[in-house]
Amino acid sequence: MKTILSNFNKAFESRVRLGIMSVLAINKSMDFTGLKETLAVTDGNLASHLRALEEAGYVTMEKSFINRKPNTNYTITEKGRESFENHLRALEELLSKK
Amino acid sequence: MMNQSDQHLEDLQVIRKIMEESSKFLSLSGLSGIIAGLLGIAGAVIAQMILTGPMAPAEWYLKPLAEDGTVTRTVILLFADMAAVLVLAFSGSVLLSLRKARRSGHILWTPVTRRMLASMLIPLGAGGLFILLTLSSIPAGVSASSTLIFYGLAVISAGKFTFGEIHWLGVLEIITGMVCLLLPQCTILLWATGFGVIHIGYGLFMHLRYKG
Repeated sequence: MKTILSNFNKAFESRVRLGIMSVLAINKSMDFTGLKETLAVTDGNLASHLRALEEAGYVTMEKSFINRKPNTNYTITEKGRESFENHLRALEELLSKK
Repeated sequence: MMNQSDQHLEDLQVIRKIMEESSKFLSLSGLSGIIAGLLGIAGAVIAQMILTGPMAPAEWYLKPLAEDGTVTRTVILLFADMAAVLVLAFSGSVLLSLRKARRSGHILWTPVTRRMLASMLIPLGAGGLFILLTLSSIPAGVSASSTLIFYGLAVISAGKFTFGEIHWLGVLEIITGMVCLLLPQCTILLWATGFGVIHIGYGLFMHLRYKG
């Protein structure tokens, strides 16, 4: 039981964070607008969760300009992918134990 | 209070749903295939009428469409026919996708839609340019075959972003294009098969399988 709980990642407790990680785990990268549209959340909400994931080292962002408009692109890090996969495994194990 | 394991189950379901929706264009309607197929058959019938008219030379498929670098009325009519089929079929599938997206509560214009369109436009654009640039040097039968082949490639390329079965639509289009190269005298019939019958078959299959 102890190992399962230690894999259960507190950073992914919020649905929005879980959503961000799901999108970035399967897509090579996605920009802020794309994430916002896919997850149907507000700018502020998404930005604060992205910042938290970035501080944890799970996602990285890259700012650039497309047609002179600023564009922020997010990618999952190696550490982020590993933690997310562990978290998924922990979820599945918890459910199969029931 | 919500049961803990219920919440975990819901978490997993949300993850799966988001992964699928963010990487696949799921609003493609099977009905679009049926409509595209009917338009394809109509287009082939009109092409047959243009090519058997008084303006059309015998064994037209052995001569380049723009022989001696001149574009005849026949060629202009053929291109108008193709353009009309393309525009109507594309608008039809956009409208049906909009309807399907609205019904299932999805958004149509997402990053994955843009990626799908981009990966479709590259082979289609290359094919269009190839046909235009070889208009005076390649027999009309080969030009017609290459529309099927490039279209098949475009479908396979876009297929990575939507239902997996569409891959086989692309493969069948390429095979039809190859057969068309071997049997240029059957060009119109093979066009009606590739853009008509195969689309209808695919559309019916998808409509019955995914109910929409």
